[in-house]
Amino acid sequence: MSAPRKAGSTGDRPDFLTAALFVGFGALGLWAGRDLTLGTVSAMGPGYLPRVVCWLLIVVGAAVGGLGLFRDREDIARPRPWPVIVILAAVIGFAFVAEYFGFVAGSVWLLLVGSVADRDSRLREVLLLTAGLTAFGALVFIVGLGVQMPIWPF
Amino acid sequence: MDFINLLALGFGEALTPTNLGFCLVGALLGTLIGVLPGIGPTATIAVLLPITFYLPPLAGLIMLAGIYYGAQYGGSTTAILVNLPGEASSVVTAIDGYKMAQKGRAGSALAVAALGSFFAGTVATFGIALAGPTLSSFALSFGPAEYVSLMLFGLLAATVLARGPVLKAIGMILLGLLLGMVGIDAGSGEERLTFSAMELFDGIDFVVIAIGLFGFAEIIENLENHEARGVLVSKLSRLWPTREDFRRAWPAVLRGTGVGTFLGVLPGGGATLASFCAYSFEKKISRHPEEFGEGAVEGVAGPEAANNAGAQSSFIPLLTLGIPSNNMMAMMLSAFIIHGITPGPTVLATQPEIFWGLVASMWIGNLMLVVINLPMIGVWVKLLTVPYRLLYPAILLFCCVGVYSINNRIFDVVLAAGFGLLGYAFRKAKCEAGPLLLGFVLGPLLETNIRRAMTISHGDPSVFYERPISLVLLIATVGMLVLMVLPSFRRTREEAFQEEEA
Repeated sequence: MSAPRKAGSTGDRPDFLTAALFVGFGALGLWAGRDLTLGTVSAMGPGYLPRVVCWLLIVVGAAVGGLGLFRDREDIARPRPWPVIVILAAVIGFAFVAEYFGFVAGSVWLLLVGSVADRDSRLREVLLLTAGLTAFGALVFIVGLGVQMPIWPF
Repeated sequence: MDFINLLALGFGEALTPTNLGFCLVGALLGTLIGVLPGIGPTATIAVLLPITFYLPPLAGLIMLAGIYYGAQYGGSTTAILVNLPGEASSVVTAIDGYKMAQKGRAGSALAVAALGSFFAGTVATFGIALAGPTLSSFALSFGPAEYVSLMLFGLLAATVLARGPVLKAIGMILLGLLLGMVGIDAGSGEERLTFSAMELFDGIDFVVIAIGLFGFAEIIENLENHEARGVLVSKLSRLWPTREDFRRAWPAVLRGTGVGTFLGVLPGGGATLASFCAYSFEKKISRHPEEFGEGAVEGVAGPEAANNAGAQSSFIPLLTLGIPSNNMMAMMLSAFIIHGITPGPTVLATQPEIFWGLVASMWIGNLMLVVINLPMIGVWVKLLTVPYRLLYPAILLFCCVGVYSINNRIFDVVLAAGFGLLGYAFRKAKCEAGPLLLGFVLGPLLETNIRRAMTISHGDPSVFYERPISLVLLIATVGMLVLMVLPSFRRTREEAFQEEEA
């Protein structure tokens, strides 16, 4: 258990986050499916079960949050935004770069940017690894398995 | 006689050079990720799912199955040698295995683990071969009502038997069901919950969710929990157990196999639950319970046999009923679907070579694993010293190419990144993402069957309790819910998983 516990106070913060996520998705689902035909029990329309599931999700979310109020206080492990941002940027960037400039450019982007996420990374290792993995990926995925992606930008 | 013929057919399929090759690749990969902490079989299979599309169906399935049970072998190696359980299922092995290693009996522990696993794997494989045809002929008489009850039972049992709070797991299943509803509704042809995004009309791809929640989220979490992994490898002694170890280990292996095979079949069961239960079982019946935690050979033999048997027998519900019992099996189900095969009773009749080939390959794979693990142990131990900073770029690349290759579009990669963020949030909220996958793969099946059952009965819910099989399943489901409310059962359930916290 990495999250610190403080004696004397209550409120399970991870439970609150869970409740927020569940209720949020339930509400989102209800809103997105607001125009769907409900139908009857014997002839259910496309909106029938989604609505049931969304309401259940909201109920479960509320229950998790409500019970969390009475638990001993537990904090959420402190998030470190750096790895999150870097990894997501590397991945999303990969899709765009690979689509327009080919696999090699995409892979180099992904691996170079992705390496920044770990503060242990050493430049020489990263460069070698990038070159090796890019070559391996091009051979195995594009040439070997036939993934539909150009290797070079031109 | 029929049985022998079918098994022979299976071995014929499994022994072709291609299938044998992929069996070896799967077993090797499984051992590798089992040894490496921070990479689990779920993430690995998620990453490799898109690749199996390019392989023949049986070869792909054989490889994925090999990864799953291979990881059970690999995980025990590191648990024993360096007290780092590579997988959740070998957490208990580390308790006594590492103590044995410290006392200079590492070789003995490793050999007992490997041989016990092999024995358990063999028995469980025969279990699948025997139970498969019986269960699936039974399942052929199932109507929509029975399927609905079976799935409700399965989903709920999966939350009760798995780790973690039940209410959160139920919520995750519901979220999975909701995600499974995105796309064109099969009943009416209307699009729903798509936010008018054309890319979502075909629904969200399983691989996108799996790689987001398990691949990306796991990488982010590992990078966040940055810690120097000081690896201290115990010295390897003789690799053959003493006669005394043998005498004490084999009854434990037998019991572990029994516990594992049984628990693996249950929804939510599988390797982890099996090994935890086997450990507490051994401790309870042992005449020297004080030795447990100090290097008791039974504490290695029992759980190791159980986790392998459990890994193997969790294939039974998937292959015979088409119902995955844990998130690993949800992955396997989607591997079947990628190839247009819907696992279940009909596959056994129409494509016997798939079922029997897979079963035969499991036994061959287990044999390979003994060879891979015992003499090559030194190689795997060396791999432990590879730092994570050299590993995660490769995983990242595999994930990205895998997601992109499903439909060759940017949208899927961005969506997977979004699920990565969601998975990260769920880890902060202490929610296991596994049940979400189960709900997602079972969702469409559940919805179709509910609607069908209600249409047939003209909206009368009595179909669910007037048909005997359905009634029994519903009673079992309600019984489980009642059990969960009882405080004494909740305590036992917590105890079953308590060793992990130690």
